[in-house]
Amino acid sequence: MARLEDLMPAMAERIRGMECPVYPSSPFVVGGKLSSRRVAIVSSAGIHRRGEKPMMPGTNEFRELPQSLPSGDIVMTHVSSNYDRTGFQRDLNTVYPVDRLRELAQDGVVGAMSDTHYAVMGANDPGQWDALTDQLTDRLRKDSIDAVLFSPV
Amino acid sequence: MSALAHLIEQRGIATTTIGLIRVHMERIRPPRGLWVPFELGRPLGEPGDAAFQRRVVLAALALLERNDGPVILEDYAEEAPGRLPQDDWRPAVTLPSVAIPGANASADEWAAALRAEWAPVLSAASGRPRSTVGGGRLDRDRWPELLAAFAADTPPTDSPVAGLRPVQAARYVADDLKALYTEAAIAPGERPSSRQVLDWFWNTTVAAALLRRGRAACLASDNKVLGLVANQFVPADRV
Repeated sequence: MARLEDLMPAMAERIRGMECPVYPSSPFVVGGKLSSRRVAIVSSAGIHRRGEKPMMPGTNEFRELPQSLPSGDIVMTHVSSNYDRTGFQRDLNTVYPVDRLRELAQDGVVGAMSDTHYAVMGANDPGQWDALTDQLTDRLRKDSIDAVLFSPV
Repeated sequence: MSALAHLIEQRGIATTTIGLIRVHMERIRPPRGLWVPFELGRPLGEPGDAAFQRRVVLAALALLERNDGPVILEDYAEEAPGRLPQDDWRPAVTLPSVAIPGANASADEWAAALRAEWAPVLSAASGRPRSTVGGGRLDRDRWPELLAAFAADTPPTDSPVAGLRPVQAARYVADDLKALYTEAAIAPGERPSSRQVLDWFWNTTVAAALLRRGRAACLASDNKVLGLVANQFVPADRV
């Protein structure tokens, strides 16, 4: 697999040309220092606990990833096969930087790390994500999260 | 990802987004974005390099302390060295020489060929400290027959996995098969590029031939669902 500019021209063009949502507003929430924030990760890699049903295309849902979930218990069922997975296979943090965030919290760079992180299927249609976003925001608020780190594939 | 960041921020929680496709970030305009020059599938850039990953995470988190939005889009300058090939890399498994079944091969012939090839893969994979295999939720002993049925153009009518169509079950098993091989091929401590590992898998294995044949048979079918799902057996650049 490769960076976008290294892909076959037709494939790179298809990715570049993908429809993206355009929003009329630009929300921007200002907060305090990083050292006072409680941070959660949201990954769009379609990762989840081993044994759960796959992240199916079109199912606009999120999966919970407890921060203590061992790396060997996490699998990836993203719909696309057109990106590298060998990095994820070698090191979970290549996709889902839970250990890096934990270290930053332990070092005091970040105030705290969430007890639970989340994953979605990034290939789904964002136009269908209102209910998903409401539910996810609810969960984040209940866990007193005031900053979210989004990680794609 | 950028879209979900926008939607969460709209509901009052600050976000920062790592992104791999800059043009998408420019269009969606997440509140705070860090474009990274890494290959697709590696948003933190470098497997097995905690210091590198920490720098990327810190660069993304640092945007949370910026107040000069809305819409901050920064470029991360550091390249991931693992994108380059490891000169002396060799796969950690030596595969037996197994002939790829012919165009009219039966499902039994395909399944037998896979079983003849994968013994050293299973052995090497069992020694790895961690595995990502298992998304398909099907016992490994049943993979060859399931995938072979599609390769022989005799797809099963009953699914071996509850809640999934047969071709959906095969699609996730295909991912598991790829992961089984590529995990086995990389010994702990080795740092091959993704291209090296995937060249080995897609250019030299019966497993890859099986997936290609299954994809082709499904695409030729009148059943459009089969083609749509099985298209993902093989990445577009390996067809």
